Amino acid sequence: MTLFRRLLLVEWSGLAVAILLGALALSVIAPNFLTEFNLYVMLRSLSVGLLVAFAQMVTLGVGQMNIAVGALGGLTAIIFGATMELYGFPLLIALPVALGIGALGGVINGLLTARTGVNAFIITLATASAFTGINFGITGSIPFYKMPASLVAFGDRHLGAMPYLLVAPLIVAVLLGVFFSRAAPGRELLAFGGNPQAAELSGISRERVVVSAHVLSGLLAAAAAVLAVAQLGSAQPTIGADWLLLSFAAPIIGGAALTGGYISVLGTMFAVLLLGLIQNGMVLAKVDPYWVQFVLGALILAAVGLNRWRAVNSGIA
Amino acid sequence: MTDEAMSEMSARRRFGLGGVPAQFGLVIIIAGFWAAFAWRAPGFLSPFNLFSVGRALAVDIVIGFAQMAALATGGMNLSVGSIGVCAVMTGGYLMQTLALPVPVAILGALGLGAALGWLNGFVIARSGVSAFIITLASANLYSGAMLILTKAVPLNSLPTEVGAFGKAKIGGLVSPLLVIALAIGLLLFVFYRHSVLGRQILAAGANARAAKMSGVPVDRVITISHALSGLLAATAGMMVVAHLGAAMPAVGGEDWLLPSFLGPVLGGTPLSGGAVAVAGTMLGALLVTTIRSGLLVLQIGNYWLQLYLGVILLLAVLADRYRALYQERRGIPMR
Amino acid sequence: MDLALESVSKSFPGVKALDDVSLDLKAGEIHALMGENGAGKSTLIKIVTGLIRPDSGRVLLDGRPVAFGSPRDALSEGVSAVHQERNLIPRFSVGENILLERLPTRNGLVDYGAVEREARRYLDLLDPGIDARAEVRSLSVAQMQIVEIAKALSSEAKILLLDEPTASITEHETAALFKLLRKLRDDGVAIVFVSHKLEEVFAIADRITVLRDGKTIAKGAPMAEMTRQALVSLMIGLAERVAEIAERQVDPARVVLEARGLSTTRGHKDITFALHHGEILGLYGLVGAGRSELAHAILGDARISGGELLIRGEPARIRDVHDASTRFRMGYVSEDRKQEGLILMHSITRNVAITIWRRLANFVGLINPRGESRAVDPFVRRLDVRTPSLSQVVGNLSGGNQQKVSIAKWLAAKSEILIIDEPTVGIDIKTKTYLHELIGEIARDGASILLISSDMAEMITLADRILVMHGFRLVGEVANDHHYETTSRAIMGCIHAVGDVEPAPVG
Repeated sequence: MTLFRRLLLVEWSGLAVAILLGALALSVIAPNFLTEFNLYVMLRSLSVGLLVAFAQMVTLGVGQMNIAVGALGGLTAIIFGATMELYGFPLLIALPVALGIGALGGVINGLLTARTGVNAFIITLATASAFTGINFGITGSIPFYKMPASLVAFGDRHLGAMPYLLVAPLIVAVLLGVFFSRAAPGRELLAFGGNPQAAELSGISRERVVVSAHVLSGLLAAAAAVLAVAQLGSAQPTIGADWLLLSFAAPIIGGAALTGGYISVLGTMFAVLLLGLIQNGMVLAKVDPYWVQFVLGALILAAVGLNRWRAVNSGIA
Repeated sequence: MTDEAMSEMSARRRFGLGGVPAQFGLVIIIAGFWAAFAWRAPGFLSPFNLFSVGRALAVDIVIGFAQMAALATGGMNLSVGSIGVCAVMTGGYLMQTLALPVPVAILGALGLGAALGWLNGFVIARSGVSAFIITLASANLYSGAMLILTKAVPLNSLPTEVGAFGKAKIGGLVSPLLVIALAIGLLLFVFYRHSVLGRQILAAGANARAAKMSGVPVDRVITISHALSGLLAATAGMMVVAHLGAAMPAVGGEDWLLPSFLGPVLGGTPLSGGAVAVAGTMLGALLVTTIRSGLLVLQIGNYWLQLYLGVILLLAVLADRYRALYQERRGIPMR
Repeated sequence: MDLALESVSKSFPGVKALDDVSLDLKAGEIHALMGENGAGKSTLIKIVTGLIRPDSGRVLLDGRPVAFGSPRDALSEGVSAVHQERNLIPRFSVGENILLERLPTRNGLVDYGAVEREARRYLDLLDPGIDARAEVRSLSVAQMQIVEIAKALSSEAKILLLDEPTASITEHETAALFKLLRKLRDDGVAIVFVSHKLEEVFAIADRITVLRDGKTIAKGAPMAEMTRQALVSLMIGLAERVAEIAERQVDPARVVLEARGLSTTRGHKDITFALHHGEILGLYGLVGAGRSELAHAILGDARISGGELLIRGEPARIRDVHDASTRFRMGYVSEDRKQEGLILMHSITRNVAITIWRRLANFVGLINPRGESRAVDPFVRRLDVRTPSLSQVVGNLSGGNQQKVSIAKWLAAKSEILIIDEPTVGIDIKTKTYLHELIGEIARDGASILLISSDMAEMITLADRILVMHGFRLVGEVANDHHYETTSRAIMGCIHAVGDVEPAPVG
């Protein structure tokens, strides 16, 4: 098999190439691309996206979906903001509260799914509606503007082109990578995703796996929400409203199997990077923003098509 | 058998108009809500409100049918909203900019919807990739293309018959849009219950491999189902145009996603395919529209609406699941 | 460790699966568990492995009552099982699958070096050729079953249940397995062996328990005192009936299906044979020989890359099964009735009528459900499907009845060329005899049948001629004199003459 073909078989190789080519093209087309400021802005915008993508990636790993990613994120964001602005608690208290909300939402999703046997798609579709309802009911669509200065500053700080905001997602990425490839509980999650009946017969508890996955997903969504608040400088009820699409697109482009059992942390990261690159490129090149959606759709198709071709040609499909 | 498969199996017992238990439950719940709303707000039963509810219901029903058509094959159609808005803008363009006669414009829009749906189905069948991903991608492609072409400019100067049709009242109470929706329901019922193609679609949805090995042209059947889904989405789009009297690019899109699933799921159409519940979808849509309009009339904050919808969806799905389990335990035979 | 079931009962809606069943399994024995489909074997196994709980009765380990709440409980008590269906995680490695319940860790993380070493220990007992690091989904069906057995072995269980463990593996591997089982038995392990293959049961078992209709008919009878007739009559309650195959006239001049030098993308090369009108042409081979793949290729489900296929004398390009059925009046009874042969969630009517919907439609293209049922009824009757009603969901039928439904649809379609693939795998003896007679009748009534089977006795009972396939090639053709010794020897001779050819990998 030629080197070329071998490379194509590596899961994220296509993405890596696309990113390199894209970056190359951009640096030629738009001279501001490679400036420290622009790179900083682009990387900063990836921070939230990475966590959102990971939040969905985790549920995809067990073969389920979390439609409530955005809704839970929004709810977490406003509760995070309310804790500080309305109740005057310091950041150090509000942070665990926010994560707690995410985890709680995940527990609800996970338990409902595991105990009732109803498809997670429907359950989270319903809870998404409920979370959004609570969100808007509490805030009346009015954001919390008075966020602690330390938080807002953190959202702006950077070392060269590297935003402080990106550090947390990167650490999370490493942790997730190790968790799913080397940790027994992580392997159990993927085993369940790969073949739920077989996993159960091997003594893996369905309820534990499903709840864990949804809790993890909720935590990641909450973390994304906190970062979003830091980035925006205010706790907006609309945070999370546009997360759903990205949350699926990135892991899928990154090579995750929709039926469960296989995810790629690295692939997901590359996918988020690629999407961020495209977005950034479009702004710089002053491309009609309406093209974003179109390109996103085309990208998903291309990635999936490549995966499919790969599967067929390695004789597995 | 997994719990999910069991709940799906119970769901499919109720396909067609004949399934008594689940539909009956829905009717009770809906009647309950109507009674409650009417009691609390007498204006709920006013001719005007009934007319509005009926008109909104018509669109929700057809959107639900669009998703149902895709669910029947065991897949789903995430691009119902996108196809809807493409049809809306195309129809508007044909009517206003090209000044074609309204019926021609409508046919053109419907044709586009069917074509976009057909494209979905073709790629799904040929590539073997799941409908979820393909329609996720196509939703963005179609919406994006529409935005690029129209620059998001609404078309407000449509021929007046269009708006008039949307405002027409039969017997002072019923919108012709609702009649159309019901007629579509009847056609779909006959289609899935009595036609060869309908049976083939359900077979392919239940077990594509077995259907294929039994001589069903599965690829063709899936493509046609998605074309049907697109056609119905376009129909819903046209109804909205009649309602608004204008073609707006803000219509459809992700707004239609939740309603498109609510109707079929509440009504008993299984996500895994192989069965459809036409009457159930209509009742499901009715439940959602009832709640939405009831809360509006009672002037309970629009914000809390989402919460109630979510909770009710959950309760309905859970109730259905437990009813199914109860039936299983009692050994009540299947239809 | 001893295992005993005392007066165990279990009911499901509408059926009493186990009625006061007892089982007495002693350490250091191989205990066969037999019974027709629907007799209750799977339910019993599920109770012993902790998947379900009995309604009444007790399960005792070494005389101590136990109540398993989950498979994990059973595993921790030393009960391990190899089930009928594959229970492997496709994208995990062989090693990881084998050790899934107890992944070795180092510093909190999985130690993959240890995983491979441990797994190798058990793999080498059965098939050293399997790579412990390979992804399970890249293995052949036979290899997957070996991995499952290795997995059960690795749990060092005191009680081992094997449910049809030899269904997909070759003779060679079966011999290795039996040698292993005997060693385990001598080491004190209690083994339950479930199989429909009488020859194997007689070869390996010490004692036998027979279930029928949820009741224990024979409990722990010593194998040494059992005969084939006695065993069969215990299982079905009557003496085994010898199938009476209808008399037929094969027309040697009329060739309905002919392959000339056929090769496929699945790996077949140079397949040449001819099927005559009214003939039952057998295609014998071991698991993995490539027979089903050939059938799929003929029907258009897999690609033919070379050679010619002639239907009724005319060269034919078959695009898919729809094409094969409508244009060429061909049919295919799949070996995998649950995934390929039937739509489990639909009714009997829908499953049988699927091939004739077009014919049932009136001029507007509509079908009357009552008309559908009426059209289906005679075929359901002919096949003697036991069911309270035609709307019964096929998933609820017993294996034998399911198989009948999957055949019925081709009868309804009036297929003239019928490829029947492993018609009686996992089917009870009574139904088996019935189906054999039915196949004879179908041929007598004018259909031409290509019968694929790895059941030697079945082949010799039914076929007029027998093609022998091995390693995706045709290695011989044997005329059938319907005498087991001579014909079976001739068939095996063809296979062994080729030497130990590795079957081409599936997929």
